[in-house]
Formats: sequence, structure tokens, C-alpha cells
Amino acid sequence: MLYGIDNNRNEIECARFVLDYLKRKGAQARITLNKGRINTFSVLNGKQDKLQMSNDRALNIQIYSRNRYGAFSTNRLEKNELEKFLDNAVYATSLVEEDDARTLPEEKLYYRGENPDLGQFDSSITAITAERKKEIAYEICSQMEGKSKYLVSAESEYNDYIDYQYIIDSQGFEADVIQSAFDVSAQCSVKENGDARYESYWFESSLHFKDLDYKECGKQALERGIEKFNPAKVKSGKYNMVVENCCASRMAAPVINSLSGALVQQRSSFLAESLGKKVFGKNVTFIDRPHRYGMAGSRYFDSDGVATKDLAFIENGVINNYFIDSYYSRKLKMDVTAESPSVPELICGEGTGTDIASVRDLVRFMNSGILVTGFNGGNYNGVTGDFSYGIEGFFFKGGEIIHPVREMNITGNVVSLWNNFTAAGKDPLKWAKWQIPSLAFENINFNGK
Amino acid sequence: MRENIAHLFGVTTENLRRLISIALEEGGEYADIFFEHTVINELSLRDDHVNKAGSHIDYGVGIRVVKGEETGYAYSEITTMAEMEKAARYAAKIAASKKSLALPLENRLMEGNDFYPIKKGWEEFGIREKLPLLELLNAKIHENDGRTSKVRAAINDSLSKILFYNSLGETYSDIRPLISVMASCTMEQNGRRESAGASRSFRAGFEILDESLMTELALSIVRKGAFLFDAKQPSGGEMPVVMGAGSSGILLHEAVGHAFEADFIRKKTSIFSDKMGRKICDGNINIVDDATLPANRGALNYDDEGVPGQKTYLVREGILNSFLHDRISAKHYGTAPTGNGRRESFRFMPIPRMRATYMESGNCTEEDIIRSVKHGIYANDFSNGQVQIGAGDFTFYVKSGYLIENGRLTQPIKDINIIGNGPQTLKEITMVGNNNIIDNSTWTCGKGQYCSVSCGMPTVLVKSLTVGGSV
Repeated sequence: MLYGIDNNRNEIECARFVLDYLKRKGAQARITLNKGRINTFSVLNGKQDKLQMSNDRALNIQIYSRNRYGAFSTNRLEKNELEKFLDNAVYATSLVEEDDARTLPEEKLYYRGENPDLGQFDSSITAITAERKKEIAYEICSQMEGKSKYLVSAESEYNDYIDYQYIIDSQGFEADVIQSAFDVSAQCSVKENGDARYESYWFESSLHFKDLDYKECGKQALERGIEKFNPAKVKSGKYNMVVENCCASRMAAPVINSLSGALVQQRSSFLAESLGKKVFGKNVTFIDRPHRYGMAGSRYFDSDGVATKDLAFIENGVINNYFIDSYYSRKLKMDVTAESPSVPELICGEGTGTDIASVRDLVRFMNSGILVTGFNGGNYNGVTGDFSYGIEGFFFKGGEIIHPVREMNITGNVVSLWNNFTAAGKDPLKWAKWQIPSLAFENINFNGK
Repeated sequence: MRENIAHLFGVTTENLRRLISIALEEGGEYADIFFEHTVINELSLRDDHVNKAGSHIDYGVGIRVVKGEETGYAYSEITTMAEMEKAARYAAKIAASKKSLALPLENRLMEGNDFYPIKKGWEEFGIREKLPLLELLNAKIHENDGRTSKVRAAINDSLSKILFYNSLGETYSDIRPLISVMASCTMEQNGRRESAGASRSFRAGFEILDESLMTELALSIVRKGAFLFDAKQPSGGEMPVVMGAGSSGILLHEAVGHAFEADFIRKKTSIFSDKMGRKICDGNINIVDDATLPANRGALNYDDEGVPGQKTYLVREGILNSFLHDRISAKHYGTAPTGNGRRESFRFMPIPRMRATYMESGNCTEEDIIRSVKHGIYANDFSNGQVQIGAGDFTFYVKSGYLIENGRLTQPIKDINIIGNGPQTLKEITMVGNNNIIDNSTWTCGKGQYCSVSCGMPTVLVKSLTVGGSV
């Protein structure tokens, strides 16, 4: 059982012991207890494949001592082991150089609320039987097994998780949070002619067992695999690009990640010195909404204990805010905003018709181009914004899918990409921390034959 | 068994035999128990100051039961007999025959391999010794190029103490060091910025950290950064690609290595599943996965299921010679395991993973290879790669390189993804250089869990790959 302070009494006492011990050594500190449980059952070709149980707990210990800083962790929570570990940690911290910015946050920034329910924990999790979990995994596999002559291999998996976190620091901040999660996945390999086996994967997740939508998971994986048969390279050129919701966050990541205060301070972000400037198209707005009920990324406070709040970090293409935590606020002499986004949403401004909701609508809206349904490697240069990614997906024309594509790259710069942003669906995956819907861009460099 | 390591985990041989017996109670055919105590120390520099220290302990035991090709697994971070017995009973549930196997009467201690040469033990050296080296690295980077505005650097060292025992009565203990030095810098020129980084990693003692390593690393980083000011993304499309010696081994890791991992072969999901013994590339090509390179990041005395570290020819004279096996796949194919059963930690069950994957040298000079290309690219610095095992399509990201025009290196290039198909690309390697280099960067492979690996390659010519770029 893993629910609330009463059920984690021993580990919480450890965290309090560590804080007291460090106080006696003259140090300020933040102690974070992370405790979790994972149950896994997987099926391969209709037979059980793996059964796994995991229980973890560890203390993360951040020491702030005379403007010196150290970050430590241990999963050995016996008192004599802890004392030895803490003595070494205090000594190690004393040896590094001073850094004036290394102190706990200003107390006025702490979350001091009542921690009202964000709808992230399903207390029925401990009542779900092992047999029920197996049934679900078998059912997903059966949605693929025997359903196609092309099937080479079918795998399915059920996982459930409980994550508990407790934070206490030497300025009096103390809070805890618990979250459950349930996920299922289906993976298959299908083969028609030739040597190539096309892999496909589908995943569903929820915070509450009753919301776990597994009925189509295997079917989705199988259909998406078969759709990949007979791919062809398209001639290199500039095309419209539609990116499906299941991989659209890959396009948002270079923008959101580059607003990190750490990268800005280190002059390693292409968005450094962009505050208040219009960088992207006026239809690009990103808002972080950390208090949305029932969302995986929602939270009232960050890992420093600082209260979270709504933040329109990009509005109509203008960079409004960086993600600044306490440390980088001192380094950059800027106000604390948030250490990182919690539940960022893309709001598409003008340009998107009200009738566009799904990726299929976007394909029709853009008329011709390439629909990206997955990425194969690639990266971006955080300092310049240049990117190049391998893609998989489909060539479309007249609003209709024509054929799958293979061995193609997209290449360009993140700034020009988001200035070519044209439209978005209304279909972010409900379980995703980043609420990014299917996206459409125009004039994108595709490299093929 | 080294008694001091057994003592660290508070267990005796009798305890281990009892746990394995419990694990086999439900009819399991094989069981093993893997204890790990890992200490990771970190020291990092930012803004010209060594201003962050860290230390992390990870401790626990994983118990695995195998029945046929099915696996039960549980782990515990508490090594009391009560907790470990609970884990053993959970893992045992994978089987359901109630036919319990007897353990051999004698245990067999496995020892002899020693691929991690250590002259100066890590436990004897701390922050006081490492801090001046980081400061030296920072100073060297600034000294080498005045355009450097920011430097980030870190030294991470870890020491993993492993104790292993299985239902065959085999036992070993291992002490695995892993040291990484990493640095990156931001350079600025006329309002433009570039960033470059490099790293070195070894399974060795403190003696590996010296002034010459810091000097070499600093020079490498600054050269990379300076190069980028002149580089640009090239025109993309299909073209010949010359892969420079060293880190081009990422091509082997992605295009060949993953697709040779025998769990994918056993499930028939790899494009190479039915190619054993067949000619898959030029007869001059030999590809190896090797645990025996001394001090290498991919070296292993014993893998994580008790098989001695060894050198495995995946491709010999162009013929597919061996897959990368763990115990489960080896049994499936009636062959010996190749020592590739690896895991990130006690939290994970072992699966087939690479170690140091490289191609042996051929006969061509690099100059001849470059001279043979009329229009293409030369790539010699990479950051990451990926593969689709079944379709065979792989990619790797090129941080920098050159255009090749009329047999000469010309315009510096950067930031492009290259995509190809594994079997096709192997066939299209038409020239192999005489200059194999093992790359000692901090390569880490992800396959649901992380493992330290390395790679190497002589200069090779691939006749055609799809190169990212402008159109």
C-alpha cells in the first residue's frame, strides 16, 4: 500500500532524520523521497512472456552550505548507512567552490495551499488482481494474433504504476503528492514480400483504471503495421507536412526545451536574448496550465517547492517567458517563472478552420504533402536551431493518402519551421503531459531520392 | 566467490542456494540472482567554477526465473532474507509445473578475466584530486580559442560491485569501474554562436585522468567548435558517403548491431532473421562485437548472466557468422551464449546487448577512398542514431563533416541526418580503410534500458545514403 504519509511513515521518518542531521551539521537542505511500484505483465504471440514486480524508494538530498552545493541520492536507508553517507556528502559539498546563487528558494515562492485533488490517483489500483492484468494483456495480443496473414510477431504489455513523492526542506516546506498510472502497449511485426518486416506500436495510458482504453490497442498496432507495406521514396523537394498527434511533440520540443533558463544562461539556446521578441508565426501560442484536473503533468509545486501557475510562455509568436527556477533567477537576475513546463498546450491562432479536428482533416486541408506518423532518429542544434530528422509516414495528394514513404529526412531551422506553421488539429492525446495536437506546416525540405 | 563482496550484501553461499531453490519451486528451468552495489561520484564545472558535487548509491538484488523462453523477474532494494525470498517467490510464478530442479552439489567459481586495468583505485581518490583536473580542462579550452564564452565540464566515476549466482552453481564477483570526462563549450564570433562537446570514457583506474587527457579533450572540443563557424547544412539527397575512422562505428551499431541481437532474431522481427551463414557484404568486411578490449567502455569480464566476456565475429569475410546471444536465445538456437546478456542494473532483466562493436581494418588508404568520390560527403562527428529492426532503416546524426567534390574535401558541413537501409548499406560498402579506430566517447545504448557501449570503424565508402539538407 502506497498512499499518503501514513503508509510511507518509515521512509518519511528517514527523510526527516536526514534533514535534522544536516541541520545539526550547519547545512540547509532539501530532501525528496521518491517511492514507486511497477507491475508488468507481457504476452508474446499469445503466450505469457514476462512477469515483473518492481518496488523502489530513494532519498534525493540537496545540500546548500555556505553557498556551496551538492546533490546526492541513496536507496540505503538504514540509519548507520545514512549517517556515513551524509558525513561524506557534507564533506564533499565543503570542497566545491562558492556559488552565490546556490541557496533555497525565497520562502514567499513556496506553494502553501491545501493541495486540493488534481485527480491523479486511483485508489482502486491495489485491488486490481493479477488475473485481470493478464486478461487485458492477452486480450490486446488477441486483437493481433490470427487477425492477419502478414503477422510475424505480436507482443502486448500491461503496466501499472504508483509514484509517491514527499519533499521537506530546512525552510519549512513540506508536501507530498501521489500519482497512479495504467498503460498498455501493442507491438507487432508484419511482412508481405521481400525481407522487410514492418514494425508497429500503439500505446494507451490513463491515470485511472476505468479510463484505460485498451479495446483497440492491438487492432491499431496491426493496422498501422500493414499500412506500411510497399513504401517508396519521394523525390527531394519542398512539401507541405502534417505531423500526427502521436509524434507532434517532437516538433514542439526544440522550442519548449530552448526556453530553459539553464540553456539561456549558458548561451546555448537559439532563443537566448529573444525575450519580448516576435520569433515565430503569429498563430503560435504555447500556454502552460499546471493545474488542469486529471492530467499526468499537473502539479501545484515544482521540485523546489515553488508554486506553479499558468504561464503563456509564447504568445502570438512572441517569447513571453523563459523557464526560470530559483537558481537561474539569481544567475540571470530575472524573476522565477517555472523550473519547467508542467502541462504545456499549443494554441493555434488564426489560420485553422473550426472544422479541422483530426489528422485526417489536416491532410484534407493541406491537400498535398507528406504525413509524418513517426520519426526515425535525427536531432537539432540547440544553439542555432538547425534540425534534421528521419521520418516515416505517407505521401498524400488531393487530400488522400497515396503511399507510404521510406528513408526520408526533413531538414531546416526551428524558427523557419514555426513560421511555416499553418494549422493544428484539436486532438492532443489525452494522456500526454505535453498537449500537442496534430500539426501542419508548409514549405518543408524533404530529402528523398 | 570473493567473500568481501558477499559480505557487502550480507549473504552466504547457503543463502544464495536457498534463494535459487525458492525461485525454482514453481517449476522454473533456470534461475539467477544478481547483487549490485554502485556508487557514482560527480563533479561539475560551470561559469569557470567547480560548483557542484554529487554522489549516488544504488543497491539491490534482482532474481530471475526462466521457463522455456518466459521470464519472471523481481528485485529488492533490501537484502534481508525475508525480502529476497519474497522477490524469489514472485519471480518463480512465471512457471507453474511444480516440478522443482535440484541444484548441483558443487559451485563453480568463475574467475580469470581482467579487462579493467586499475593502477590507482577510485575509492582512494576524491574531489581534491579531481577538481584541479576540471579547472585545467576549463583553462585549456579558454586558452585554445578566445571565442569561447562558456564552458561546461564534468567528471563522473562509478564503481559497481557485482555478485552473481545461478542454478547451474556458477558464481562470480566483479568490480566494474566506469569513468567519463565530458565537456562542452559555447563559442561566439560576430554575433554568431556555436556549441561543441566531446567526451572520453574508460573502464580504468584514476591513472587515466591526467593532464594529457585534459589537453587532448580540450583541443578536440575547440577544434570542433571553430569548425562549425565555417560549416553549413549541405544540399540533401542520395549520394556517396565516406565515413571517417572512429565514431563512424555508430553506423555498425545502428545498421548491423541491433538487428543482430538475438532476441529480435528469435522473435523473427529482425530483417537479418533468416540470413545466418549467408553472404551479406563484401568479402573484405569483418565485423566484431568485443568484450575483451582492455579499459574499453564496452569491456566486460563476465556478462550479467554469468557468461565470460569474449570476442564475437558477427560478420567474417562478408558472411553472417553469429548473432548476439543471451542464455535464452542461445538455448533457442542450440548454440553457446556469446556473453551479450546485459542489464542496466539489478532493476532490469538481462537481454542481448552490444559491447564494443567495430569493423576490422581493410586495405585502402583514406586518401584513396576520398579520391574515389566525385560528389558526396565525408562525415566524422556524430551524436546519435536509431534503427527500425524489421524494416532495416537506420539513421545517424552528423554533427560535422565535409562536402567531397572531385575527390577532395571542400565545404565544411554540419547538422544533418543520414538515413539508409541496413542490409542494403552493408552491400554498398565498397572500400574499407586500413585505419580502424575505436572511439572512446561516452556512447550509451538505449533498448528500454541503458548500457555503456563503444564503437569503432576504419574509413569506409558507402556508395549511396540519403543525406539531409536543403533542396
